[in-house]
Amino acid sequence: MRSNVLVATFPHVDGLLKAVRQARREMLRVYDVFTPFPVHGLDEAMGIRHTRLPKITLIAGLTGLVFALSLQFYANVLDWPLNVGGKPDNTTLAFIPISFELTVLFAGLTTVAAFLLRTKLFPGKQPWLPAPGVTDDVFAIVIRKPTADETYQRALALLKDCGAAHITESEADL
Amino acid sequence: MDKLPEGVIEPRWIAGSPTLGQVTADIARPMEGKPGKLWYVLFAIALLGLLDLLGMATYLIANGIGVWGLNNSVGWAFDITNFVFWIGIGHAGTLISAILLLFRQKWRTSINRSAEAMTIFAVMCAGLFPLLHMGRPWDAFFIFPYVPNQHGPLWVNFRSPLVWDVFAISTYFTISLVFWFLGLVPDFATLRDRAIGKIKKLVFGVLSLGWNGSHRTWSRYEIVSLVLAGLATPLVLSVHSIVSMDFATSLLPGWHATIFPPYFVAGAIYSGFGMVLTLLILTRQSMNLQRYITMRHLDSMAKVLLLTGSIVSYAYATEFFSAWYGGNIYERYHFINRATGPYAFGFYLMVLCNVLAPQLFWFKRIRNHVGALFAVSILVNIGMWFERFIIIVVSLHRAFLPSGWGMFYPTLVDIGILVGSFGLFFTLFLLFIRYMPMIAIWEVKGVVTDQQHMAHPSAETIGTAGAAGIPAPAGAAGMEHHHAE
Amino acid sequence: MSDHCNGAKDKLVTLGARRPPAPPQDYWTSPDELHHGPALRGEFPGGLPEIPAAAIHLPASGEPATAGAAPDGHNHDHEDHDHDHDGGDPDAGIGRRDFLTLMGFGVGAASLAACRAPEQRAIPLPVAAEDMIAGVPNYYATTCGGCASACSLLVKQRDGRPIKIEGNDVSELFGGATCATGQATVLSLYDNERLRGPLWQGQPAAWAEIDEHVTSALAAAAGKPGKIVLVSSTITSPSLRDIVARWGRAFPSFHHVVYDPISASALRLASAQAFGRAIIPHYAFDRARVIVGLDADFLGTWLSPVEFARAYARGRRPDGPTTLHVQFEPGMSVTGSNADRRIPTAPSELGAIAAALLARIARRAGEPEVAAAADPVDPTILDSVAGELWNHRGASLVVAGGNDAALQLVVHTINRLLGNIGHTVDLDRPSLQRQGDDGAMTALVEEMQRGEVHAVILHGVNPAYDYLDGPGFMKALARVALSVSTTDRRDETAAAVHAVCPDHHFLEAWGDAEPIAGYLSLSQPTIAPLFETRAFADSLLRWIDAPGDYYSFLRDYWRTQVMPRQSALATFDAFWDHTLERGVLDLGPPTTPSGAVASADPAGSDWRAAVSELRDESQRAAGTEGRTDGHFELALYESVAMRDGRNANNPWLLELPDPITKITWGNVAELAPSTADKLGLRDGDIVTITAAGGAIEVPVFSQPGQHPRTISVALGYGRTQVGKAGNGVGVNAFPLTRLVRGTRRAWADGATITATGQRDKLATTQSHFSMEGRPIVLETTREELGHAERPEALPNLWNERPAGERSWGMTIDLDACTGCSACVIACQAENNVPVVGKDQIQRQRSMHWIRIDRYYSGSEDNPQSVHQPMMCQHCGHAPCETVCPVLATTTSSEGLNQQVYNRCIGTRYCANNCPYKVRRFNWYNYTTGNHSDYHMANPVGRLVLNPDVTVRSRGVMEKCSLCVQRIHVAKNTAVKRGEPMQDGEIKTACQQVCPTDAIRFGDLNDPKSQVAQRMHDQRTYRVLEDLGTRPNVAYLKKVRHGQTT
Repeated sequence: MRSNVLVATFPHVDGLLKAVRQARREMLRVYDVFTPFPVHGLDEAMGIRHTRLPKITLIAGLTGLVFALSLQFYANVLDWPLNVGGKPDNTTLAFIPISFELTVLFAGLTTVAAFLLRTKLFPGKQPWLPAPGVTDDVFAIVIRKPTADETYQRALALLKDCGAAHITESEADL
Repeated sequence: MDKLPEGVIEPRWIAGSPTLGQVTADIARPMEGKPGKLWYVLFAIALLGLLDLLGMATYLIANGIGVWGLNNSVGWAFDITNFVFWIGIGHAGTLISAILLLFRQKWRTSINRSAEAMTIFAVMCAGLFPLLHMGRPWDAFFIFPYVPNQHGPLWVNFRSPLVWDVFAISTYFTISLVFWFLGLVPDFATLRDRAIGKIKKLVFGVLSLGWNGSHRTWSRYEIVSLVLAGLATPLVLSVHSIVSMDFATSLLPGWHATIFPPYFVAGAIYSGFGMVLTLLILTRQSMNLQRYITMRHLDSMAKVLLLTGSIVSYAYATEFFSAWYGGNIYERYHFINRATGPYAFGFYLMVLCNVLAPQLFWFKRIRNHVGALFAVSILVNIGMWFERFIIIVVSLHRAFLPSGWGMFYPTLVDIGILVGSFGLFFTLFLLFIRYMPMIAIWEVKGVVTDQQHMAHPSAETIGTAGAAGIPAPAGAAGMEHHHAE
Repeated sequence: MSDHCNGAKDKLVTLGARRPPAPPQDYWTSPDELHHGPALRGEFPGGLPEIPAAAIHLPASGEPATAGAAPDGHNHDHEDHDHDHDGGDPDAGIGRRDFLTLMGFGVGAASLAACRAPEQRAIPLPVAAEDMIAGVPNYYATTCGGCASACSLLVKQRDGRPIKIEGNDVSELFGGATCATGQATVLSLYDNERLRGPLWQGQPAAWAEIDEHVTSALAAAAGKPGKIVLVSSTITSPSLRDIVARWGRAFPSFHHVVYDPISASALRLASAQAFGRAIIPHYAFDRARVIVGLDADFLGTWLSPVEFARAYARGRRPDGPTTLHVQFEPGMSVTGSNADRRIPTAPSELGAIAAALLARIARRAGEPEVAAAADPVDPTILDSVAGELWNHRGASLVVAGGNDAALQLVVHTINRLLGNIGHTVDLDRPSLQRQGDDGAMTALVEEMQRGEVHAVILHGVNPAYDYLDGPGFMKALARVALSVSTTDRRDETAAAVHAVCPDHHFLEAWGDAEPIAGYLSLSQPTIAPLFETRAFADSLLRWIDAPGDYYSFLRDYWRTQVMPRQSALATFDAFWDHTLERGVLDLGPPTTPSGAVASADPAGSDWRAAVSELRDESQRAAGTEGRTDGHFELALYESVAMRDGRNANNPWLLELPDPITKITWGNVAELAPSTADKLGLRDGDIVTITAAGGAIEVPVFSQPGQHPRTISVALGYGRTQVGKAGNGVGVNAFPLTRLVRGTRRAWADGATITATGQRDKLATTQSHFSMEGRPIVLETTREELGHAERPEALPNLWNERPAGERSWGMTIDLDACTGCSACVIACQAENNVPVVGKDQIQRQRSMHWIRIDRYYSGSEDNPQSVHQPMMCQHCGHAPCETVCPVLATTTSSEGLNQQVYNRCIGTRYCANNCPYKVRRFNWYNYTTGNHSDYHMANPVGRLVLNPDVTVRSRGVMEKCSLCVQRIHVAKNTAVKRGEPMQDGEIKTACQQVCPTDAIRFGDLNDPKSQVAQRMHDQRTYRVLEDLGTRPNVAYLKKVRHGQTT
């Protein structure tokens, strides 16, 4: 659903962090923060929970491992047992390298795929930029526009104190 | 506390303190302006090499492997030598971006992008040779397991190291490519937003996947980078281990050695860093990025070369020792032949380049002399090519039955294809530094911001920037540094 | 088609009965097969003469066999289309239609052969004609025409095409064995450069026209004083000799000159002096406990090598009595490399050595003292040799190769004094294998120069190339009114004759032979003549317009001359059929007893004069330039591959590595390593060798064991007008021979050698001759044999896999192997191994599936040598299999290491990992002619291909399959028969041809099989056993026989 937001831009990362912390102390709803590079401390400041992506990695990896082992076992023992150099059909040791590679391949690709899905990134997507230059040298914080006028004023004041360069109102679906 | 603990030297990985906007501008410049003369000269040469490769490969496939100098005793020579050589080169990139990431080596930020690119291109060159060296390349698909056809069951030999290679290299290539692209996405976004041209806007728009710098994305993004790094690290080690098994699992004296996997991995990192050094020196001169690729970077890479070079030298020594100590007559003869036989010149060239040359890096003055660094990096490349040549050809040409002994003499096609592979590599690399951000803009911004905070520390904590941004424990190793709160 | 078939039924006698017929192959039972007949009539409307045309116009096709090989080597032609991009040949896309056309040609040829000359008396086949099934081979007994040894053959004919030559195991003389040349003759049949028909004045002409010219010229000659001369190589055919005799009656001025470029003229002269008959004795090497060879390469080329090699091996079995073989020779020969004691000797010393031996033996025999020359070699050696000979009186044998009457007389005398006559030297049944008369030839040339010769017919000779004065001969020939040659190509001589009347290849012709007196064999055509050629005998009959043709003449001859000498069979037809089927006939000794000869009176032969002759000569040689520095003795020898050069266009032989030097595609000047060093010459340096006869330019090769003062050069090379393959290969050394005392001498002293500064890269297949102290060829001595403990087998790293029903294995007896190299060609013929050419050999890309490794031990001056046949060892734990990424090579349930051409992508990993280096890679497509333009590249030459074996395409690996196709034939036969396969029923090509029976093949699961027995011989070992490859091919240690001082 679309909602009205306040977008405040900062030239420097310090103000941004301060703003985020205080805004949440003030019970203002911080939708998101836009930065040219990952700023640390923001996770805690915004209270973002840890992602579950690593679990997906693990599952995918195990899948790859099982797939690789069973493929090789099926081919060499069940489907087409041949006398290769007098070795036994099931030469498990020789299957390890491929099993390892497939584990990594499955895990890696699945993780990235999951990431793109979760963050809704895909080729040709039209990005919503809260303010020009957030991918260059501008830091922006996006807060839900308080409906109550008194809170709205407090929000503006707060953002100004933290050294916001510009404060604009805008609409976004977030 | 506001001051650094005593004795902690404060490193500056970026010369001066450019603003974030400057960083973007500096790194984007090569893509927006015209490159220097040097670039055009290099590109012209590289293109010639590429043409030579196309010509030679066509001739080869039209006539048959007979156009190479191979024979009944020497079934592999330049082909597999080049293959292993390029795979080796392909190791530094992922190593820098993955392993150094895990070790939070922040000096990687300026060089990892181009190093990864180099990896991708090197693996592409390497992938060429298994195909070209086949007697019937049009049947190359036989080597992949595919659904059995009317011939009934028809699988590949999962016991063959060549099949392991196929899996290892394709996995390695895929993961490296993904890792590299993921790292590029934020920069593509940056470029998209500053692009003027319609086409650029469109292209970067598509490539940037609609990235908008949202922190919720950033935070997942960093986890994914870490996960990929964690996967890529063992992968790097596995790839060259498996390549080394092509030889180690055979029974040929000179091939059949258990030390091969670590020995080859060390060699790969050694050659990879050698090539990175060569390229970085070339690019920083041709693209005037001295500010971002500083002497400190070159210095640290020289140190890595010194380390890995010494490991390789140790491996050489071990081989000779075990040959002498093991008392296997075939093994023993092989190593005597290696040092005194018809290919001894290659052996001593290899020793000069891989054992002696890197020892120069004990001296700081040499580590900080661009010319010297460049010269040694070239020697490293030569030396590592010859190492593979020695291992492959000298082992083959005099094996068990003296009646089967022979010699290998390269033909023009052999040499042409070797040169051509460099053509392909440099064409791709030069295009890359011309049209893509060859330094990770967003990571550098992180470093720059940190440095500014070092300069004027504030009450606020700024976590370390760049993908390396894991909250670091105090006293973390290496160049790691941060303020206690 | 039916009449064709009946024709076929009534034609040739097949040995199908004796050889189980192969089962039909798939592509013969395919539907197209049904329409073969009609297709054929369309194919060859004009009957026989069309065939060559048809053959020539066939589209390129390596496909007969390329049509698919499953792992087991079976053909699946119906899968052709898969194979075109799979196993098949990608470049030459050949469809099944061309392939059937080609087959059609074969069948056509056979059937048409059947209806040729129906008036010939028909012989019912013991096996019904229906048995002439396409795809099922028939075996015809015939006689080899490769050289004058006239070995008995069994020719494998498949769909009307002879495709493989095997020895006739009925023959007591030759057994199943043949030599390399014999094996290769089948390829000469399909030589694309044979004349398509007769020539008059160099222009193609009809036979009638030729006959017109010849007969009229002869008629004209009959009146005049000028002679009519037939110059022929040795004629072993009694019937042909009879026809020649008729010519003598027809033309009073007729003369027959027998000319062998490498003759045994002196031997015959010496026999005439010693025994009163100009004969070549028949030697029995198996009865000799002591053999002394004076430069006689009787295991390689001398007189009858196959027979001698068999006998030699029979007499030297490790379990038999001790034998001693001492060889004196300048350059290392096959024989010398097998001798127990080999003494490098300059040719000029051989006579003196013979004399010295004679002197010692005469003394023991109580003859008046013989004043021999000073001993040219260490007297103690001569003493011990003479002693051994004397101790084995009657069971010893001295043979000399030198073509010198005095020498041979001395040798005869030695054998006589040793009482060997009648034991190891048989005079009652002399050898008729080399009857050349050097003196007669020179006399003829002089007559021709004087214009006393009116007509010359040249048969099987090429004097322009191999006469000691070729140009002189040609000048003389120009003065002859009518010159006729029967050569099959416009060779050096035929280029200048009036009429070229090409003779059949022996596989196309009827005939008979008598290699040893009273020992006859028959020849029958195995294919209708490919081209417009005519049997020489027919031409002779035609030109004296005798009635009937040679076939009827032959039968008449046998009816009148041979039939009466046997009593076994009553009716001639029965006798004829029987003999034709067996191919050989032993009539026993001639009725005229030569007892008088055996006890020839020594006084009758002035051998003492011969001794002094030899003494003077060796002293002269010692005194003069011969021994001074910078001068050498040039020893010209007959090489195993080229012999006298008549097969010089045969690519198989050109690419056959010399058993000793391992050099292919050309001859070299062999120098002692020490000499080469002294002269500062490296292998491949081209030098000019000048001798009395002239000068030749030839590359140097330092040959261990070469006498330091001698240079050895092989004869038979340097043909200029023989064909694409053979022209200009090597140099012609015949001009350096000289006529001495009426015989042609193959050595010259006072030769000088000067470097030209040019170099030639020698095309050698083995560059390193030392075993580097590795356990590759193991040796033992008779003393050890009794008490040698068998080493226990190495443990298996993995659990044994379930054993198959059969387990094929092979043993190779290194003690029996003489290195004659016949197996190399046999394998090449059986398995469609391509010829790759000099350039590829120089690049070490020889394709032979079986090679013979030759190692030296001991000093370079006089090393001991061993020959080791090396082919795929069919390892139980094959290193090649584990590394192949696509499972293109695996172990069959019967223990064969099999190569799947369809699946191979050519990574060459298997070859790299093969410790035996026996895998061969197709670096190019060797069948298209782009990279090696030999028989596989032309439609005629391709007819030799074995349809049971895939022709490999470019980029695939290949190797010995233990003749898997033969295994399958035998299996199917056994199934049809309903009884189990017998041991020895399957013979691999290499085993079949081996004169010394060194190779055994069979089922290791059958404890009674020969091969299983041999596996438990105490001499048995496996090469590189300690690698754990567990080969199914095992070797038997070389036994060093009783050594003397």
